[in-house]
Amino acid sequence: MTMDSALLGLAVAMPLALLAALLAVPWLGKQLPVLLALAPVPAVLAAILSTDGTTLSWPGVLAINLALDQPGALLLGASALLWSVAGFCAPALLGERPGKGSFAAWWLLTLSGSMGVFLAADIFSFYLFFTVVSLAAYGLVAHEGHAQAKAAAKVYFAASLLGEAFLLFGLVMLAAAAPSLMIADAVQAIGGSPWRDAAICCLVLGFGLKMGLVPLHFWLPIAHPAAPAPASAVLSGAIIKAGVIGLIRFLPVGDTPLGWGEVLVVIGFVTAFWGVALGITQRNPKAVLAYSSVSQMGLVAAVFGMGIVGAAASMPVAVAYYALHHVLAKGALFLAVGIVAAYGGALRYLLLPVAVIALGFGGLPLTGGALAKYAIKPELGYGWAGLLGSLSAAGSTLLMLHFLRLLAVMPKPATAHRFKTSVMIAWAAIALAAVALPWLLFEPVTGLRLADTLSVGAWWKAIWPMAIGAALAAALSWSRLQLPAVPPGDVLHPVGRVLVPSGARLALAIDHLESRTRQWPVAGMLLVLIAVSLAVVMAT
Amino acid sequence: MTVVVATTAGGFLLVLAIILPVTAILLIMALGGRWLARIVPVALFANLCVSAAVAWLVARTGEPLAYVVGNWQPPLGIALRADGISVAMMVMTAVIICAAAIFAWSEYSQRHDEPEARAPFVFWCLILAIWSALNALYLGADLFNLYVALELVTFAAVPMVCLKGGATTLKAALRYLLFAVLGSMLYLLGTVMIYGAYGSLDISMLAGRVRAEPVAWIAASLMTMGLLAKTALFPLHLWLPPAHAGAPAAGSAVLSALVVKGSFFLVVRLWFDAMPALRDPAAMQILAAMGAMAVLAGSVMALRQQQLKLLIAYSTVAQIGYLFFMFPLVSLAAPQAMWAGQAWTGGWLQLFAHAFAKAGMFMAAGLIADATGRHRIADLGGTAQRMPLTTLTFALAGLSLIGIPPSGGFSAKWMLLVAATQEGQWLWALVMVAGGLIAAGYIFMVIGKMLADPLAGSDFKPVARYREIVAFSLAVVAVLLGLLPLEPLEFLQIGRPALAIAELQ
Repeated sequence: MTMDSALLGLAVAMPLALLAALLAVPWLGKQLPVLLALAPVPAVLAAILSTDGTTLSWPGVLAINLALDQPGALLLGASALLWSVAGFCAPALLGERPGKGSFAAWWLLTLSGSMGVFLAADIFSFYLFFTVVSLAAYGLVAHEGHAQAKAAAKVYFAASLLGEAFLLFGLVMLAAAAPSLMIADAVQAIGGSPWRDAAICCLVLGFGLKMGLVPLHFWLPIAHPAAPAPASAVLSGAIIKAGVIGLIRFLPVGDTPLGWGEVLVVIGFVTAFWGVALGITQRNPKAVLAYSSVSQMGLVAAVFGMGIVGAAASMPVAVAYYALHHVLAKGALFLAVGIVAAYGGALRYLLLPVAVIALGFGGLPLTGGALAKYAIKPELGYGWAGLLGSLSAAGSTLLMLHFLRLLAVMPKPATAHRFKTSVMIAWAAIALAAVALPWLLFEPVTGLRLADTLSVGAWWKAIWPMAIGAALAAALSWSRLQLPAVPPGDVLHPVGRVLVPSGARLALAIDHLESRTRQWPVAGMLLVLIAVSLAVVMAT
Repeated sequence: MTVVVATTAGGFLLVLAIILPVTAILLIMALGGRWLARIVPVALFANLCVSAAVAWLVARTGEPLAYVVGNWQPPLGIALRADGISVAMMVMTAVIICAAAIFAWSEYSQRHDEPEARAPFVFWCLILAIWSALNALYLGADLFNLYVALELVTFAAVPMVCLKGGATTLKAALRYLLFAVLGSMLYLLGTVMIYGAYGSLDISMLAGRVRAEPVAWIAASLMTMGLLAKTALFPLHLWLPPAHAGAPAAGSAVLSALVVKGSFFLVVRLWFDAMPALRDPAAMQILAAMGAMAVLAGSVMALRQQQLKLLIAYSTVAQIGYLFFMFPLVSLAAPQAMWAGQAWTGGWLQLFAHAFAKAGMFMAAGLIADATGRHRIADLGGTAQRMPLTTLTFALAGLSLIGIPPSGGFSAKWMLLVAATQEGQWLWALVMVAGGLIAAGYIFMVIGKMLADPLAGSDFKPVARYREIVAFSLAVVAVLLGLLPLEPLEFLQIGRPALAIAELQ
């Protein structure tokens, strides 16, 4: 085993090893910031050092196959960096309440799954890691323990299970058609299978739910804000990228029918604008960020769909590059909310860098966001899709201005936390990475020239959507229009009002039916009836 | 056509597996209950070794073991035969019985220098009797011997239900007894018809003789219904929830993990070995339809329970349902298809994973009841703080029941799902996934309550650590079964000409 493949294994195993150590040696609980910051380090190293195409196959009975490619490495590295910074900040931001140990346990378990999905090369491992990252994050959502967090955690758990069920169906259909369980073999074999479209449909539903694509986004604006800020950061930054890597892995350009590309384009743009429209009605800055994630993932889906339609081989890398910026920037913004909530006075240091990063989602020139937008231009093209992309940037500008306004007026914390300079430094690191990493990676990853992004034409293309967004924000503020306060999760509430009572009625009906079958005469009759029908069907 | 059966090397082990526990019971009866503490551990350990030796021999040679009693050929004599599935069942039974015995050791202890008590005497005799009868069931090679074994299992299992005494458990035991006896009658009736029509009850002879004709149809449906009544397949499950919830924890574990699987094993023997010619697609689908109803109704009912043990019992009703998907999935596959082997392995894996998970879960519930004296799900608050290992046991067993990877339950469901997809049997695939979702609901409901704060004024007396470890180990086995590769297992094919190993590669 080479150094490279060992790093792949460590990326997944390190969090689990630290979890085991934490359970075995309680003293380590005092060193949580260091422990949580170290856990993702092998993943960061794997993303930087391991060469494209590195693989690792587990020797024993459990067939775990890991592999690293460029899109995987981009998402793995950025996510691991965010996990590391958020993990370092988490113990301080959680305050002095008990339950940090169990928080750390859920954190490490989720981290392992989150790293694993970017590396999994076979269907079983992918499903395993996807399940771990989805279900273990329940503990992060539920951590705050108050009624709202509990309710949010329930919604999160139910939604995750639904996503798991879709994914399971899709993967089973892939496996049923495939000669081996390796993802690469399976996605090729599915092309000739009669249940190709059913499989792709299930996969899109499963990954779409994880990414928060409308209408399966209902859980995201409920769950992400309910978690403590460091957990919100990794949920919205790193964990939802499990859906993005899923699309990249299972819907490859060339093998995926073009129709599915069109479907994703439509869903993606609807989601992109839906997130903005609902996001500006929110009063909680974390809910605004969550809706922004919905909107951003919508744009990612649209770019993905356009890449499939246009058979653009460069699309997965472009999507991963765009998502990399989202990992770092959204993580930094959620952490900033947590820091302001913990130390009210920190706002004056944070407001300017937060504004730069936030407006990056609108395409503010020279930011990472501007480069990310530039990188997906070739996929979106210059027709109507390109126009919709620019308009979504206008929407993002509007949404981020709304966020900044809410952040500026956030109430001062009731109980002041002990201010920690180290937390501020860690935040500065992730904020810097959100701007600098896209710069560093732009030319080697996208193959585009940096100089082009600095041209007048490029700046104009970035600035006019921002101007529209800013004008909309100004108009909204000037008109004193009261937007309706839509509860986070929008569609869930009317649908839930119908589904929950009908589900309860169905369960009651089954209960009645079952209690009838437990009566002797009924059971006896059924026994005779089934015996007769068994004999009759054999005779006919 | 006569099939000559010869005793293979090591065949005597099969006889030992049946008579060792019986000998122990006779010794206890002869010497008195005060000798329990000396006889029982020796008997259990010896029989565990016998099961291990049988498994080792069969795994090494890849051939079934056989023993012909007195060298009298069937149909006159009695033959015992251990193929892949019977050995797997034997090993599972040995492990779970021994675990249950360790778990129950202090609860049913009988010191040598103390006067003989009723409960330990009955409990240990029943455990030994169940073991012997189950082994006879796995190894029997003719339908009448299987009837005798089936009756022995029933008569050993029913008193286990009312071991605690009290009107409720007595009522539950009577319900169980009546329904089980009804099942036995139906089975016996079918057996008699088979003997009248074909002149033999030997399974391997019948396989060649039974043709699709009225007498065989009627006999097969009578025997199947009898066995389904004993397996508690929905809608014939009326006796199971009160019986399994009423028994002591170790007893519930054995009943839910092993006893219902015994009659299921016979259903498989009947349709796949004794009467393969009768495997009509529609009949197989009727079995699967009952299984599907069991999965859905059992899971929903589990969700609606307020007593922890009743919830676990209803979960058994649901989990038994999955086993019956095996019938259409194996039977309707093209003969050369790999997925017949997938479905076969998936079905058995579901049986093993459920057995270990459910035994661990019932023990966990028993430990919680011992510690707090409470049985309601609403009263579980504080369990996670006071009994972290038991909470983990419940959670791990739950993982397997839901089918979350890595666990035996997941691997089983995966293989059944892949087979269902390949054969286009979508309905069963949908039911399997839906059942997993509802199972997640009820497991989550319990774990959520366990993680909650303790109720005010609840008292807590600690339970023995080793009992927690026994339950935990069983749940871990259920999870570890998920590390097996997701491919047909050759071991389960040993001694099965119908699904030759070559076809599975």
